[in-house]
Amino acid sequence: MARKKLTTAAKAPKVKLTPRDEKTAERLTGLADRVVTAANNRRDPYVEIPSRTLANVKYSPRKKIIEMGSATNRRQLFDLSQAKAYMRTMLVASGCKKLIDQGKSTSLRGMFYMLKHTIEGSKENTFDDQGECDTIIEDVEVLLQSIREELHLYAENRGAMVGNITFTDKGDEINCAKMGSGGYAIPSIVEPDVIVLDKTKCKAKFILHVEKGTVWQRFNEDRFWEKHNCILTHGSGQPPRGVRRMLHRLHNELGLPLYCVLDNDPWGYYIYSVIKQGSINLAFESQRMAIPEAKYLGLRSIDFERCQLSDSVKIALNDTDRKRARQVAQYPWFEKKPKWQTEIRKMLSNDFKLEVESLISKDISYVTEEYVPARLKEQDWLD
Amino acid sequence: MATRKTIKTRPVPARSLKKEAAAPKRGSRLAAAVDAERNGAVVEADDAADAAVDASTNGQSHAGANGKPPRRATAQSMAAKQRDISVSEFFAKNRHLLGFDNPRKALLTTIKEAVDNSLDACEEAGILPEIWVHIEQTSADRYKVGIQDNGPGIVKKQIPLIFGKLLYGSKFHRLRQSRGQQGIGISAAGMYGVQTTGKPVKIISRIGAKKPAHYFEIQIDTKRNEAKILNGGGEGVDIPPGDKGVKEIERHGIEWVDVPHGTRVTIELEAKFIRGRGSVDEYLYQTAIANPHITLHYTDPEGNTRDYQRAADRLPPEPKEILPHPYGVELGRLAAMLGEAEGETITQFLVGKFSRVTPAVARKICTAAKVSPRAWAKRLGRQEADALFQAIQATKIAPPATDCICPIGEELILKGLHQVVPGEFYAAATRPPAVYRGNPFQIEVGLAYGGAAATQNVDKDLLFDLLEETDARTVRQFLIHTFNGLGAEAADRILKAAGLGTRQTPKTLKPKERLRLLEAMQNVNVAEGQSMEVMRYANRVPLQFQQAACAITQTITSTNWRSYGLSQSRGGLPKGPVYIMVHIASVWVPFTSESKEAIASYPEIQKEIRLGLQAVGRKLGMYVRKRLRVKQQSDRREIFMRYLKEVAGAVSDVNGVDKDGLYSQLLSVAKRVTADADMKLDDRGRKIKDEAAELDFGENVLIVDPVTHAASINRAAAATAAENTAE
Ligand SMILES: Nc1ncnc2c1ncn2[C@@H]1O[C@H](COP(=O)(O)OP(=O)(O)O)[C@@H](O)[C@H]1O
Ligand SMILES: [Mg+2]
Repeated sequence: MARKKLTTAAKAPKVKLTPRDEKTAERLTGLADRVVTAANNRRDPYVEIPSRTLANVKYSPRKKIIEMGSATNRRQLFDLSQAKAYMRTMLVASGCKKLIDQGKSTSLRGMFYMLKHTIEGSKENTFDDQGECDTIIEDVEVLLQSIREELHLYAENRGAMVGNITFTDKGDEINCAKMGSGGYAIPSIVEPDVIVLDKTKCKAKFILHVEKGTVWQRFNEDRFWEKHNCILTHGSGQPPRGVRRMLHRLHNELGLPLYCVLDNDPWGYYIYSVIKQGSINLAFESQRMAIPEAKYLGLRSIDFERCQLSDSVKIALNDTDRKRARQVAQYPWFEKKPKWQTEIRKMLSNDFKLEVESLISKDISYVTEEYVPARLKEQDWLD
Repeated sequence: MATRKTIKTRPVPARSLKKEAAAPKRGSRLAAAVDAERNGAVVEADDAADAAVDASTNGQSHAGANGKPPRRATAQSMAAKQRDISVSEFFAKNRHLLGFDNPRKALLTTIKEAVDNSLDACEEAGILPEIWVHIEQTSADRYKVGIQDNGPGIVKKQIPLIFGKLLYGSKFHRLRQSRGQQGIGISAAGMYGVQTTGKPVKIISRIGAKKPAHYFEIQIDTKRNEAKILNGGGEGVDIPPGDKGVKEIERHGIEWVDVPHGTRVTIELEAKFIRGRGSVDEYLYQTAIANPHITLHYTDPEGNTRDYQRAADRLPPEPKEILPHPYGVELGRLAAMLGEAEGETITQFLVGKFSRVTPAVARKICTAAKVSPRAWAKRLGRQEADALFQAIQATKIAPPATDCICPIGEELILKGLHQVVPGEFYAAATRPPAVYRGNPFQIEVGLAYGGAAATQNVDKDLLFDLLEETDARTVRQFLIHTFNGLGAEAADRILKAAGLGTRQTPKTLKPKERLRLLEAMQNVNVAEGQSMEVMRYANRVPLQFQQAACAITQTITSTNWRSYGLSQSRGGLPKGPVYIMVHIASVWVPFTSESKEAIASYPEIQKEIRLGLQAVGRKLGMYVRKRLRVKQQSDRREIFMRYLKEVAGAVSDVNGVDKDGLYSQLLSVAKRVTADADMKLDDRGRKIKDEAAELDFGENVLIVDPVTHAASINRAAAATAAENTAE
């Protein structure tokens, strides 16, 4: 068969690209061009994706954050176990290129629907659920070293804030002291081109971050942020990137210390760890998100005795909890901290976990009126 | 043959019979049942046994009624009842011991006896056997069976003796590998026929092309154990050769196939015809596998004819008779042999009656047993016999000669399996001879794999032809009968998938229904849920009962088939379209019980079976894995192909490359990467034949294309054609 060399000629985009978009588009085209080159050479095309696993993250004791290592995973088209992932990677790349060319952005879910279809000649779908698509998007982020915003993607808003601060969001003034019961929904993209912070418009002295919306509601209803002059945030469990980036900016640009009130279970510890050091999965983002100075206010494994809670609030640990707790204890950033080791060991010997809501058994506002104020006053936290 | 006959017609020693007959002598109801039987009334053996139990329990409750149990019998009154029983009477009482337990088994035993005799006679005379078996239903519970061979025939005066006198254990004391070890004699079958239907046994036998055929109608006199010849004024009749003779035989209602020499025996008996496990079908099918040198024509009561053509044109070598080895003799038997040793010293006895005993060895045994080597053997007491027995076990004696065993051989096992069992992969292993308890034996294993898929390989034209040809009454029957290896359960699944009723007639299927049937046949995985079919043989005779109790089955289930690519649940038979045959050839096959249907678990035997299974298993494993690999390769390519278009499209969207150009380039890369699949598959997705050449299976493996395999589809048209050429 005569070899006909394939040539490429990207279509001109419909809109004028910003320099940042141009750079991203260039990277995407480079990715596609490498497929063509491989095919021209009758080679098996592949991509090298930086590995997003625990084995490939390093803890930098100096910067006190998790950083991604240099290990990569090769994803080949002609490998049975990888072929589909390879195809999906190319689909996501083409989807992002389209968004950039059109000057539009979409949610992760929107991207999923953009790319989902039945593969010709089969009953198989390109993607079956959004999770599959989200993972590939993260792969493309590390592969191209372009963060989500640069790929014109955003996540659903999750997490909220209230407090003594005013800033602008896409030009609109947001006064977080006047947000009613729902609070300001923290958007997925909080970069300076969207949200402009002004030091002079911030009265708050610290940030109190709680794990869940329900607890956040308690604090908001009790006007905690007013009484203690702070900013009150939550991240609906594991805080999404928007919340983490917002906390990072508030902390670094406005110099606000960050205190966390999370459940006393391995998951709570893990959330704290992510806020503080960065996540394993998104280690490449640590630089922009991790807050090494964040403090862990509670709940603590000593709280059952300390607050004299009743037996009914105990939730027994299960095997996964125990395993996970041991894992967390071995994280390099916890490993050398005797206080953390005691904390985790104590929870394991308790063999139960405590949710923040358990404090309600004392009094509905115990957590806002006694527990947190006392910890703050005594400067009693884990670091 | 005449000399052999004289040994065989020797009457059975009354001693041994009396002993066995003594047991059921208690209940009077049983005696009544036996009497009733003799008078022509039919009582099933099972019923008789039940009656015996009833009688004894009744007796007990009676005893308890008046407190002190009455003296039931005195030595005198018992003596009055003690008498010789004729062999035939013994049979009447014990027919369940002899394979006539029930009408179903009676049919099988009758056919087995006749076929075994035919095969033995042919082989002894050096004739390649051709056998005809015809079963015909004459009334609701009566069948007429005719079994014919092309053997040497039987001389006139012997015929009434062979078929009219009950012979018991004629091959019993002989240490020679033979079929008859399990046999009880054809006359027993004839007697059963006479007892249950009153119809005489009809025999036609001819010893040469120009000789007349002898025709006898024989009724066995049960009381006197004698033949009563009904025709020719008690002399039988001679029918001249030629067309006239053939017509005359026809008039007697006998379907004689006109061969220059041979014998046909026709028996009408009360019987029940079944299919599946323990059936005549199974027996003949399995016999054809283990005897690839025979041709067999079988017509069942539904009129279906199945022909098993011989796969080998060579007779198996004649087995030699040997003396027993001392290790193999049991104490009781040793004592009995000593008792019969007329005028012999111990040394003479040991050297003369056993193999591998030299005078020096005999001396050693005697010294160990503390008996004089010159003592008269017959005079030895019980204790001395016991000491002798112990001494034999303790003395080192050379193992027996093993050249007396004639295995089927790997090549013929492959041929036999291939001829009869559908499959795509066959392997065989014949182990070297070994010895258990002084008895030489040899294990052979054959395996056929992948044979269940015939239904999936049929195309529209062939199926329509088959539906036209068949004389099966129902579609279900058509499926089971046409596609060898297809079980009733799988047939039902196909019918269900096709939405057809089990009772529908093949001929009246509408075109649409035929297409639905075709589609169902192609879609239903008939191998699913199928487990290994085990075929057990002792001296080429199939063992059809007591599968679970048999050392062969036990060794198969305790073998790890998972490592050979089959799935298997713990302690069970492996799953999949696989047939395995295990043959034990021995001068003395150790059965677990009288019914001679299960091999006893001697460690030496189990070890040999295991080694044989492993030998074929390893080859199967190679084949299955290879097949899997080919399949994976083609699956792989399919997956790549599916994604390539998507990749080409996505890449083109990003950098504007020509989508189709990229696609075709990626396609050629895919072809290179999955080249393995290419090499092994032809355009229809089947593997190509020279594949075996690449894999080193070693010897004794056969790989065939299942579609073109004759054994996989049973065609009515082909069968009739074969019959025509035979005549
Ligand atoms: N079909 C036959 N052709 C030739 N000879 C036969 C045939 N059937 C039986 N015989 C002879 O009759 C003998 C007795 O047969 P049978 O009563 O079945 O006892 P066994 O098979 O145990 O010897 C056989 O050994 C054989 O010599
Ligand atoms: Mg016989």
